[in-house]
Amino acid sequence: MAESASGTLVLERVNTPPAQTWNHLRANDITLTVPVVSRKGDVYFALPRLFESIECGMGGAVTDWIESQASDARYVEVRAGEKREEPIIAESDTGIMVRAGAEATIVVCAPTGGPAQGTTAALVRIIAERGAQVHVLEFVCGDTEQHLESVGIVAGEDARVDVRQFFLGAGTTAAGLAVALDGNRARLDLSCRYLARDNDVLDINHVIRQRGRNTRCDVHESGVLDGHARKALRATIDLVHGSSGSEGAELENVLVLSDDVTNKTMPVILCDEDDVAGNHGASIGSVAPEQIQYLQDRGLTLEEAEQLYVRALFDEALICAPTSETRKAVLARATEILGSETASDLVEGLDLAEKSGPFATTEV
Amino acid sequence: MSERTEKRTQVADVDRSLYDFTYSEEGYERYDDGLTPDIVRAISEKKDEPEWMLAMRLAALDTYHAKEMAPNWGPSIAGLDMDHISTYVSPRTKQAKSWDDVPDDIKNTFERLGIPEAERESLAGVGAQYDSEIVYHNMREDVAKDGVVYTTIEDALHDPQWEPVVHEYFGTLIPPADHKFAALHYAVWSGGSFVYVPTGVKVEYPLQSYFRLNAEGAGQFEHTLIIVEEGADLHFIEGCSAPKYYEANLHAGAVELFVKDHARLRYSTIENWSKNMYNLNTKRARVGADAQMEWVSGSFGSHVSYLYPTTILQGDRSNCEFSGITFAGATQDLDTGCKVILNGADTTATVDTKSISKDGGCNTFRSSVIVGRRAANARCSVSCQSLMLDDISRSDTIPAMDVRNATASVGHEATIGRISDDTILYLMSRGCSEPEARTMVVGGFANPVSKELPLEYAVEMNNLIKLEMEGAIG
Repeated sequence: MAESASGTLVLERVNTPPAQTWNHLRANDITLTVPVVSRKGDVYFALPRLFESIECGMGGAVTDWIESQASDARYVEVRAGEKREEPIIAESDTGIMVRAGAEATIVVCAPTGGPAQGTTAALVRIIAERGAQVHVLEFVCGDTEQHLESVGIVAGEDARVDVRQFFLGAGTTAAGLAVALDGNRARLDLSCRYLARDNDVLDINHVIRQRGRNTRCDVHESGVLDGHARKALRATIDLVHGSSGSEGAELENVLVLSDDVTNKTMPVILCDEDDVAGNHGASIGSVAPEQIQYLQDRGLTLEEAEQLYVRALFDEALICAPTSETRKAVLARATEILGSETASDLVEGLDLAEKSGPFATTEV
Repeated sequence: MSERTEKRTQVADVDRSLYDFTYSEEGYERYDDGLTPDIVRAISEKKDEPEWMLAMRLAALDTYHAKEMAPNWGPSIAGLDMDHISTYVSPRTKQAKSWDDVPDDIKNTFERLGIPEAERESLAGVGAQYDSEIVYHNMREDVAKDGVVYTTIEDALHDPQWEPVVHEYFGTLIPPADHKFAALHYAVWSGGSFVYVPTGVKVEYPLQSYFRLNAEGAGQFEHTLIIVEEGADLHFIEGCSAPKYYEANLHAGAVELFVKDHARLRYSTIENWSKNMYNLNTKRARVGADAQMEWVSGSFGSHVSYLYPTTILQGDRSNCEFSGITFAGATQDLDTGCKVILNGADTTATVDTKSISKDGGCNTFRSSVIVGRRAANARCSVSCQSLMLDDISRSDTIPAMDVRNATASVGHEATIGRISDDTILYLMSRGCSEPEARTMVVGGFANPVSKELPLEYAVEMNNLIKLEMEGAIG
């Protein structure tokens, strides 16, 4: 981490996985330049120290930078046994404690506002105590120049965590998620859907540490790459010594629509225990010619057929969007990419126009 | 079971003496430990090399000293101290064409390893290296009549016909600046093989080179250069072993394989270095249009291994198949795998690897698949299966894929697990003891790779697995 005189900071080795590959592949990490605002002399609210020990997906340098740049951190506690209906909106530096047996939905939605907004970032740390249920929804649909999103979750005994990520935004998106399944029988279900096109850069790091006995993790990543997009995904399942009876599975499907795309995939399993099962798979390619032919036979052009896959991403994002803000962000991005007519179809198809919220006023 | 296998079984029933026997170095020529320009010059002078080779060695030495090891790489090699490694040890014997002309102690070594017998039964030619020099080299006359050349790099350098060929190819596929230990290799290389198969010639029986490191605290740096011309076909086998010492030994060889258009090369390796060995070997193949490269690799020995054979599928419709098995037992940390670079259109690659970890052994499977922009319709599938035999061992898989063509298709799958209790119980209920049952399952796990080897090597590999599993062959 090197601070320059011009008010920027170079963050090196961001999104580094626990085990690395050949450096010449340039797949081990990403280097980011971020702005720095001097806050000397200011005293802001900080999270309880308990949160400092949580590993976050993008690494310590990003955690330090966001903590230094964010104003007051926000601490939210969901009481034991409480089922919180209203989603918790996590912003720049948020710590959330979900007490034993409680249930909460946490939404992280990257700000929009155009490239002029420069760099935006979110740091979210979550503790899910015994038997807690946590639903995390991440939406990056904006068109800021650069967005960083670092999330760390610790799951206790019998805790159940599901995370749904939608990285659909323009510019550079760097996101890291680290989940520690510390308690026995803790479980993670992770779904990550992404779209990168034009000159977008998408850099994702998933680290799942399975420490408790009989833990489960199921990770699915899939997305579409087009134009000159550059994407790197590192997904690590770490079956730590003592995690006997645990199972971890990870699968990525990548649809490549352009020869100018750069796709880097690094699925890693680290195994220090014999009584476990770890699986991972990756499939990278284009739409099968027979599938294209099938769709063309029904009157679709190749471009329209490929756009169906992109549309499906937005369909799913809209279904999952729990707040008017997130729906607005997804729909605005869908309008930009798919056109207003298709975006209207999405709204109608999902019967969202009837609902109160953004769609009544969104121009589609 | 053949007589040879029975003989080996009797030896190995006692201990690992099939491989763990030594002969005195008395009378051998041994250069000082460490790495200096004087040592490099002495090796070059000893071999009476062309000037360009000495210049290459000295430049490589500078590169070695200048290059840093990546701090984030694999198992530690902190125990390897080049100041305590002799880079050249020679048994002071001339290269022989008949086993009768090989000194008794060396001949006994290779006889115990079964090399002369294998040569008689099933090989087209054999090269045997003892420490830093080739002590025996021979090839069947009918193969030589077809124009096949199988000799040492040193002899090729002294042949006016082949010196320009060596000059043209040597160090081009694995450049000295490739990594720190490639630079070390080029500074002090000694021994190895030069093979040239002319256009259209299909060598019916395999050629084999066997590398034996007898000296304590020494390094072996052989260079293998194989050129398979258009439409030719070759199976080359490489075997290696060493007795166990408490002092570190080093193997930093290099293998450069040129497979021209429509040619086929199968390169099989059974590596059983002793468990004080740092095996930092580099292998690379460049494959022409419609050509085929096949790797069969069994890694059983070494304290630490860095071994990732690389295939560059340069020509359109070229193909690569890689089958590998790695067995890591106590004190072993083996970082192995492969790299495939698909540059040509319609290229295909299949990687199938298995690893077994036992008694605290660590296995890391590391791979990279790179699909270049002009590799239209390239296809690659990677499968990696790891078996954990106890809870003190470790197994990691670290694959990487870089795809830059929309019409390419790349698949990867990996599984890590253990032998299920149900399977063991089933076999025990049919009369097997638990160790026998476990050995049987591991043998079945390894079978897809061992069946790719010539029979005698498949037997050797199965025996090695039994040895590792039960502590004795029987």
